[in-house]
Amino acid sequence: MPSIDKAIEDITGVRSDLEAALDPAEPDGVYRDSRECAALALLSADTKLLLSPPTPRPKKG
Amino acid sequence: MEQSGTSALLQGAVQDLASDVVSALRGGDHLRMSGTGAVDEIEGSLDLAAVRVLGADLLLPHVLFPSPPDPAALAVFRKTVETFPPRADAAPTVKWSHWAMSRTLRRFDTPLSGAPGAPGASFEDEAAEPDAGWLDEATWQALTHQLAVLAPLAVPAEDCAVVRAARRRPVDVARGFVRAVRRRDWQQAAGAGRWLTLLDGVPDTLGLEAGLDFVELMGGNDPRVALQVQAARVMRTAGALV
Repeated sequence: MPSIDKAIEDITGVRSDLEAALDPAEPDGVYRDSRECAALALLSADTKLLLSPPTPRPKKG
Repeated sequence: MEQSGTSALLQGAVQDLASDVVSALRGGDHLRMSGTGAVDEIEGSLDLAAVRVLGADLLLPHVLFPSPPDPAALAVFRKTVETFPPRADAAPTVKWSHWAMSRTLRRFDTPLSGAPGAPGASFEDEAAEPDAGWLDEATWQALTHQLAVLAPLAVPAEDCAVVRAARRRPVDVARGFVRAVRRRDWQQAAGAGRWLTLLDGVPDTLGLEAGLDFVELMGGNDPRVALQVQAARVMRTAGALV
């Protein structure tokens, strides 16, 4: 009964994806450097959130 | 991160539904679900799973602009609640999102014999709230992440344990909003912004309105981000607090 097997496989896959979508891990942050922040702030003059530089990240190695 | 074929399709279906909700929120109109057919046709399909992921927000336009939903949309919503009950060991966000859907269903559903809360109904006992203790112990970063996932609970006059936990920590949610913006996590920022719109005690220095504009500018191409921002705007205009 390949069609039933396929249906079960599909439903199992959907349920697995569903749980992942409903309980997602926090994605890694993507930070901008100060020059990019300044450019964005100029683009949206009313927005003050990005006037400060991004949080320092630990150096690798 | 690599996605499975099903996962990518599911995300696409969720985004389509979110677009429908955004359109309804912008127009103050009824929800029109463009991507789904009749209940019988979508059973077991990705569309039903997509409704489960979007959760209670599917009917948000009818909550914010009080009006009865289209019977077909309500039937799909009910079918989803019945089809995807949370497992006993499910994560708290899974349980709470299902609780939110059940609650929304109770808000709109007519008291039929099989309706939620009625004797014998499949989700008769789901009026009982899941535990929310994990939020009180969460760091401000984790709290914001979890609240953003549970943004469908951020609706006016809602009262549940998650809302009460958010109400106790407005400054932490504000910090989380700023962090999400700086990490360029637009979905989390939009969800946190929606919560902040409803919370008392949010610092004026946050610049929430400008922040939401910025989130929409940067992340508004994603309908799930646009949905949260638009929901925040509608609630802000109405001056609602939870």
